[in-house]
Amino acid sequence: MSEQKTNKEQRYDRQLRLWGDHGQEALENAHTCLLNASATGTEILKNLILPGIGAFTIVDGHKVTGEDVGNNFFLSCESIGKNRAQAATEFLQELNSDVSGNFVEESPDKLLDNDPEFFHRFSLVIGVQLPESTCQRLGAVLWSAGVPFLVCRTYGLVGYMRLVVKEHTVVESHPDNALEDLRLDQPFTELRNHISSYHLDSMDKKDHSHTPWIIVIAKYLEKWYNEHNCQLPKNYKEKEVFRQLIRDGIRKNENGAPEEEENFDEAIKNVNTALNPTKISSAVDDIFNCVQCENITSQTSAFWMMARGVRDFVQNEGNGSLPVRGTIPDMIADSDKFINLQNVYREKALQDAAVVSKHIQSHLQAVGKPSESISEQDIKLFCKSAAFLRVVRCRSLAEEYSTDTFQKDTITSCMDSPDSEMVLYLMLRSVDRFYQQHSRYPGVYNYQVEEDISKLKLCVNSLLQEHGLSVNVKDDYVHEFCRYGTAEPHTVASFLGGAAAQEAIKLITHQFVPFNNTFIYNAMSQTSATFQL
Amino acid sequence: MVQLVGPLSKELADSVSSCKILVVGAGGIGCELLKNLVLTGFKNIEVIDLDTIDVSNLNRQFLFQKKHVGKSKAQVAKESVLRFCPSANITAYHDSIMNPDYNVEFFRSFQLVMNALDNRAARNHVNRMCLAADIPLIESGTAGYLGQVTVIKKGVTECYECQPKPTQKTFPGCTIRNTPSEPIHCIVWAKYLFNQLFGEEDADQEVSPDTADPEAAWNPEDTAARATASDQDGDIKRVSTKDWARSTGYDPVKLFNKLFKDDIMYLLTMDKLWKKRKAPVPLDWAEMLQLGEDPRTRNSRLKDQQVLNVGGYSRLFQHSVETLRSQLADKGDGAELVWDKDDPPAMDFVTAAANLRMHIFSMNMKSRFDVKSMAGNIIPAIATTNAVIAGLIVLEALKVLNSDIQQCRTVREKHIKAPVKSH
Repeated sequence: MSEQKTNKEQRYDRQLRLWGDHGQEALENAHTCLLNASATGTEILKNLILPGIGAFTIVDGHKVTGEDVGNNFFLSCESIGKNRAQAATEFLQELNSDVSGNFVEESPDKLLDNDPEFFHRFSLVIGVQLPESTCQRLGAVLWSAGVPFLVCRTYGLVGYMRLVVKEHTVVESHPDNALEDLRLDQPFTELRNHISSYHLDSMDKKDHSHTPWIIVIAKYLEKWYNEHNCQLPKNYKEKEVFRQLIRDGIRKNENGAPEEEENFDEAIKNVNTALNPTKISSAVDDIFNCVQCENITSQTSAFWMMARGVRDFVQNEGNGSLPVRGTIPDMIADSDKFINLQNVYREKALQDAAVVSKHIQSHLQAVGKPSESISEQDIKLFCKSAAFLRVVRCRSLAEEYSTDTFQKDTITSCMDSPDSEMVLYLMLRSVDRFYQQHSRYPGVYNYQVEEDISKLKLCVNSLLQEHGLSVNVKDDYVHEFCRYGTAEPHTVASFLGGAAAQEAIKLITHQFVPFNNTFIYNAMSQTSATFQL
Repeated sequence: MVQLVGPLSKELADSVSSCKILVVGAGGIGCELLKNLVLTGFKNIEVIDLDTIDVSNLNRQFLFQKKHVGKSKAQVAKESVLRFCPSANITAYHDSIMNPDYNVEFFRSFQLVMNALDNRAARNHVNRMCLAADIPLIESGTAGYLGQVTVIKKGVTECYECQPKPTQKTFPGCTIRNTPSEPIHCIVWAKYLFNQLFGEEDADQEVSPDTADPEAAWNPEDTAARATASDQDGDIKRVSTKDWARSTGYDPVKLFNKLFKDDIMYLLTMDKLWKKRKAPVPLDWAEMLQLGEDPRTRNSRLKDQQVLNVGGYSRLFQHSVETLRSQLADKGDGAELVWDKDDPPAMDFVTAAANLRMHIFSMNMKSRFDVKSMAGNIIPAIATTNAVIAGLIVLEALKVLNSDIQQCRTVREKHIKAPVKSH
């Protein structure tokens, strides 16, 4: 059993360094459903199976054709005539024996007719190359069941993704530029006490130059407060004066030249960010003001329970501030001083988390749930990430397509540049319309290309008219989409496979922020764009 | 059998199936790239990679399976590709691209070269060869969630070396040998130590105290005097570390006491170094034995991510020395070991030695997981990023081939373009 564990650690080593073991655990507990094992679909699954997703199920009613084998790595000549779900599953399974692969030889439409609840069991449903009507039907089922739905499509040299999830919570958003949580503007008691245990002036040279910069800034801030009526340095000018104050504090040698005190240099460098007032971002404030945070019931998810716990803390013991994060950056200091300072923050963080935990416990109790429902580990992680919580809410497909609620302004303003990726979106909508009218897509066979151009153009115009969109779609795009003839070039499928799998991993691990909600990739110009539709 | 892509013009499709291309590297990007190339209709592919397959490759290099661990990447990649496309014409080289056999003539035999490398030296080399041969090169790279693709064509774009790239950080010898102040210094020291004891001895990888350290002298004449003294100091300093270790039978306790006690005490005599720095504190083997297991380490974290106490690392040092000693003995006379981050006793040795040194120099010790990252220059890697980048590479390749055709066409023939449908 433990040998198995070490093997997994070895195999997954390079990705554990990105999303950690709790991320890996979430991945291994996930079960995803793929509709249509076309090239795009199998590429997406490949990228989920290799890192060890728990299980996958392919739903596909098609039989494998020669065309399929031409662009799909996970089908062979021997597969021709077999059900595509089964054939693809067999090959995909070879990628990772830890993953459980299943297949259903049924078209998505039939499944929706007979057993829509089939889809409720999945952590994520990925629909590839689906006609609009199937998408809409499935979208409605998954929306009410609260199952995230990722729609993907490769159409010639165009890639398309649409994320449909009612509410997706993210604890670890991993922002690119996170500021430290040092509380220098409002030091908590233990920090204040720790700071006062230092007497810079009476320290010997070695100690002086190995005092953490956080302490240095804190000490000089006290001096500053005395002369500035307890106000923080606010603008560039004041911060410059403050920096000079610190600079003047650098010890001098017997010749009057400043000694090398790297910790003071660090302090000066960090003045810019270390004195920012501690405050809660609007994104987190919004989370606290959500109705889910307000009305706690037995159905409330762990995220909202914990959010409420933190909110209670903020409004009481925290005096308007979040629980202390508990980490400090690396810095020049001797290890005793560093560790002692680190422990001050660490212990306060533990204390605050314990208070948050008590609040959470009382809510759990009030709705009759056991206190073990939310682990201490999760609460600690939540508190540590409190400043970076995010909630993503996508509009439903119904809202996107309805003539009452579609995003008219977004579409119109994007089309001010007629070559914006938005035109590709409109073309995809138009070919769907073509399919509805003619039960086929335009230009699939050579002889159809010419006559389908005018038919497709009619679809474009009726789409625009019905939605009252006075935008110009160049003829070039109509021609182009006829030429594409629903081709699914492998390399575009491969690109989209990577991009879609990455979003899927974000959704499953609840780390990083998924896109919201439409992604268009133009393989000709190698450009892409995201829209909220 | 492989179908041609609908949106390609007939000429481009013909060019794709007839041209000869070189893929340099069969790892993360290489596997994805080979798949994409074959499924796009490229038929004549040569792939070269000097590496063999490791377990940690399996989370993304999908042309390889567990049973292939230890085998040549290029070779297995070729075999796997042929399984799903028997008509592909693939040649595999288990070799370094920097081998002079791959001369300008070799490069000239291709219409296009694509890099799927992981190091600067090889990239520079291929860049120059492609410039010399005047063959278009598609350069790419990935790290974690980031990646990039660039087309390099002589006379049209800048080459890979046109813009200076940041150099890899190296540390001065005296920092490594005398006055480490960061964990990375201790880790580099531990890697040098491995080579001095078990591997190929390198004069630039000395681990003993550096008496010629200019910072140690109170005045300049002193430095010179110390330097000559160490040269003349015959016996003890002249005998190589490996010879000395061998003479003790690679006794872990003797090694421990020399490296972590005696050598440290010697450093302490160079008192000028410790005027402004916290002085190192030597360890004692007998004391280490007294230390029990740190209770904090008994939690559910992955073993690799725990940080042991100094007693734990002392025991790990002893254990790994004993294992490496027998590895060396098994290889026979004059044998040498090569350090490999994925070889457990070698990694254990570096983890233990580095941490003991960190403790001596008052630094917070690091878990094996973190030491491995730094010692092995590990770059995190996942399937998705490589899939995206490889997709982009082939699209750029098509454009490069297309523009070559266009160039020819403007010179010779009329513009013909007929769509070819998949059938």
